[in-house]
Amino acid sequence: MAEYASYALVLFALGAYVALDGYDLGIGILGLFDRSDERRKEYTELVATAWDANESWIILAAVILWAALPGVYATVLPGVYLPLVVMLLAFVLRGLGLEMQSSAADYRRGWGRLFGISSLVVTLCQGLVVGTVLSGLPQHGGVFEGGALRWLTPYSVLCALGVTALYLLAGAAWLQAKTQGSARRRAARLGRPLLALTVAACLVLGFGLEVADPQYFRFDQSLRAVLFGLLVAAAAVCGALAWYGFGKEPDARPFVAVLCAQVAGLLALVTATAPVVVPPDLSVHAAASPTGSQVFLLIGVGCCMPVVLAYNIYAWWVFRGKYRPPAPAALAVPAEPVATRADLTDSQASAAESGVGTLARRVGFTVLGLGVVAVAQDVFGGQGEWIAPVSLILFSSVSLTAWLVGDRRAAAAGEFDLDQAARR
Amino acid sequence: MASSATVELSRWQFAITAIFHMTFPALTVGLSILLAVVYTAYLRTRNPLYLQMFRFWRKIFAVGFGLGVVAGTVMTFEFGLNWGSYAHAVGPILGVTIGMEVITAFFLEAGFIGIMLYGEGRVRPRTMAFASWMVAFGTLLSTTWILSANSWMQDPAGYTEVAGQFQARDWWQVLLNPAFSYRFPHMLLAVLISAAWFVGGIAAWYLVRQRSLAFARRTLSLTLGVLAVLMPVQLYAGDETAVFMGQHQPAKLEAFEGNWKTDNNGYNLVVVPNPGRGKDDLRIGIPHLGAVIGKDLTGQAHVPGLLQTPPDQRPNMWSAFYGFRAMYFTALTMFAMAFAGLVLRLRGRLFTARRFHRLMVWMTPAGLVAISGGWITAETGRQPWVVYGQIRTSDAVSHLSTAEAALSLAGFVTVYAVLVAVWIRYIVRTVRAGPEAVDSPSADRPVLPEAVHG
Repeated sequence: MAEYASYALVLFALGAYVALDGYDLGIGILGLFDRSDERRKEYTELVATAWDANESWIILAAVILWAALPGVYATVLPGVYLPLVVMLLAFVLRGLGLEMQSSAADYRRGWGRLFGISSLVVTLCQGLVVGTVLSGLPQHGGVFEGGALRWLTPYSVLCALGVTALYLLAGAAWLQAKTQGSARRRAARLGRPLLALTVAACLVLGFGLEVADPQYFRFDQSLRAVLFGLLVAAAAVCGALAWYGFGKEPDARPFVAVLCAQVAGLLALVTATAPVVVPPDLSVHAAASPTGSQVFLLIGVGCCMPVVLAYNIYAWWVFRGKYRPPAPAALAVPAEPVATRADLTDSQASAAESGVGTLARRVGFTVLGLGVVAVAQDVFGGQGEWIAPVSLILFSSVSLTAWLVGDRRAAAAGEFDLDQAARR
Repeated sequence: MASSATVELSRWQFAITAIFHMTFPALTVGLSILLAVVYTAYLRTRNPLYLQMFRFWRKIFAVGFGLGVVAGTVMTFEFGLNWGSYAHAVGPILGVTIGMEVITAFFLEAGFIGIMLYGEGRVRPRTMAFASWMVAFGTLLSTTWILSANSWMQDPAGYTEVAGQFQARDWWQVLLNPAFSYRFPHMLLAVLISAAWFVGGIAAWYLVRQRSLAFARRTLSLTLGVLAVLMPVQLYAGDETAVFMGQHQPAKLEAFEGNWKTDNNGYNLVVVPNPGRGKDDLRIGIPHLGAVIGKDLTGQAHVPGLLQTPPDQRPNMWSAFYGFRAMYFTALTMFAMAFAGLVLRLRGRLFTARRFHRLMVWMTPAGLVAISGGWITAETGRQPWVVYGQIRTSDAVSHLSTAEAALSLAGFVTVYAVLVAVWIRYIVRTVRAGPEAVDSPSADRPVLPEAVHG
């Protein structure tokens, strides 16, 4: 039982990832085809508030897979090595482009292009991975045993294109929900063609799976066939709703509909393949880790999940509604006057002192410092275990007191005052 | 089984991606705490100085955190990509530990960082402070879990092995393994200290340049305060960790002390090891000091040498010795500077000691150097084991061709080199632009042009 719960958890994290990061990858790609820098800056800012949280879901999916179904983890990851490595590199570059863009005051084309292209590469690689897994990976005892180019099949290439269409659709739907004016109009106009493309891709991939499938689906089992049919029908209804919703109020409807269609589609796929996780024959049972690990993980993750969802929803709620640029208040207090060189020489004049006193002081402090190091290295540990901890607590307390007292004195002297910091 | 070239390439890849990833948390854990503290100070005093500090350090934190996240994503996948056999064997233990890290820490950070970075003006200041504390708490939790996982690999406990796969017998022993109780405080102090040097070095640069003085003095005073308290404690924690490792992984201590025969009571400063002949070609050291550090004040005791370990279980002395020396000598320098800062503060000269400020600027990356050195010692000193005493690194790799491993290594090296360059350039530019100017309605504008730019 535990392995099914773990598998459900993996699917939940994976579904959340596709639903959430799907739209921001889609927005990244859409930005490549937009000519207005203003709109592109807006797209980046929309993604910047949420991408950390969205990307966390794929990490969660990966580690739960590792912990609960190590057989799948050790088969799939080496099995799709190159696409995954390229995806990770693209993730890195995407984060770089996004963060550099977001921290710049205006729009930087280079960073924007890097963000867009790496979003596209991430998407294509994810499609290749999904396509490869669906068309089967050879393994023995939960460890991959295939060749390096196993991932390059006609089906996986088609799958890459299909995933791109899906993410573009999700991106357009999200943009209609979150933007105003020309950006919203553009997204609404793009929605239906992208939806048509996605549906076409689903049909091709769905029927193509019959050919590529190494597993021979058991649709002769009536429960499986009925569930599968229902889920596909649900996805179709959601697709129709999205079609109807593009370009119309309420603006959030297409995204919600696309989201539901994604969920239904994922569940349909699982219904068709379960209990096999990696075709042709790696099943949940064979890949699972010991029950103890799974129970620990399920309890731990299960207890945290409500909290995680709560603050994710809260974060989402803070940025609800249409995008508006952040407007933090300016810092307001008298400005810092500039220090003149005369002030400097003034404050340094007291530095000249008598030679002997200085030398004695320096030697004294050096000896003291070496003493503290010796104590910290527990040199006297042979004489008494207590010597080092007690002396260090003493020394650190002196440091702490000096810090607090010194800070207070400096504050009283006006060292930290914004307006007179340079005057003294 | 995979070829030895694949093993070597995979090791290099893991080492490079791990060190690269490590430098980001090494700054962002401490920075997130600094941000939470200064924002709380702003909330309580309403002094715009604290808001100025918050906004400036947030700029550096934001990009560092983002790069840390993507570099961390790489690590999560790498366990399975290159180390499939290892992943399959330890998944039921380490997969769970890292899974708990993701669910408790990653999401906490990611959930609140959006609010912390973009929430000003959208949420109340109190909520901003809360979000900042949550991010800081998340980074600390993350450090805890990851240290637990790595310490288990250093000194595994609380497990049984069934058909080549590890299972937890007692989760408390797995998570709070013996090595964890030494290595966690050591690493926690290390990340706080390295962030403090980074922040303090930049603040000192403003003092050298005589710009944004209130900002610079406040920041410098804060970081040197923290450092003067933590540095001696860190020296002690490090020593305790080394002693613990000497007992649990004798080969590691033998390697990082740089001796082959157990006949040296000195402390080696430079060695040129010759593993083939089992001796050092060159050895420069301070007599008696090795014994003294080993708690023998008479100076008679001998530091254990690597010949005590069978040849097929010896780690590489080069990396362990010089990694350790990089960490230790940097730590001594850091202590000296923190101590000098304390003395200057007591004499009331902390903000005017120009030579000290110039030295402080050079200390900006000191913590990162020390942390990298320490991890090189810890990880290469554990070799040839990936899980100490249980799984050899050569048995841990995936079924990969050498070409695949070489290609991906080349990809990571290229991309990360670009990333390092961009990251350093970003820090330099942000620091040059300086903290946001504080608007004054009445007084005439300051003259320094670059200080005006926000």
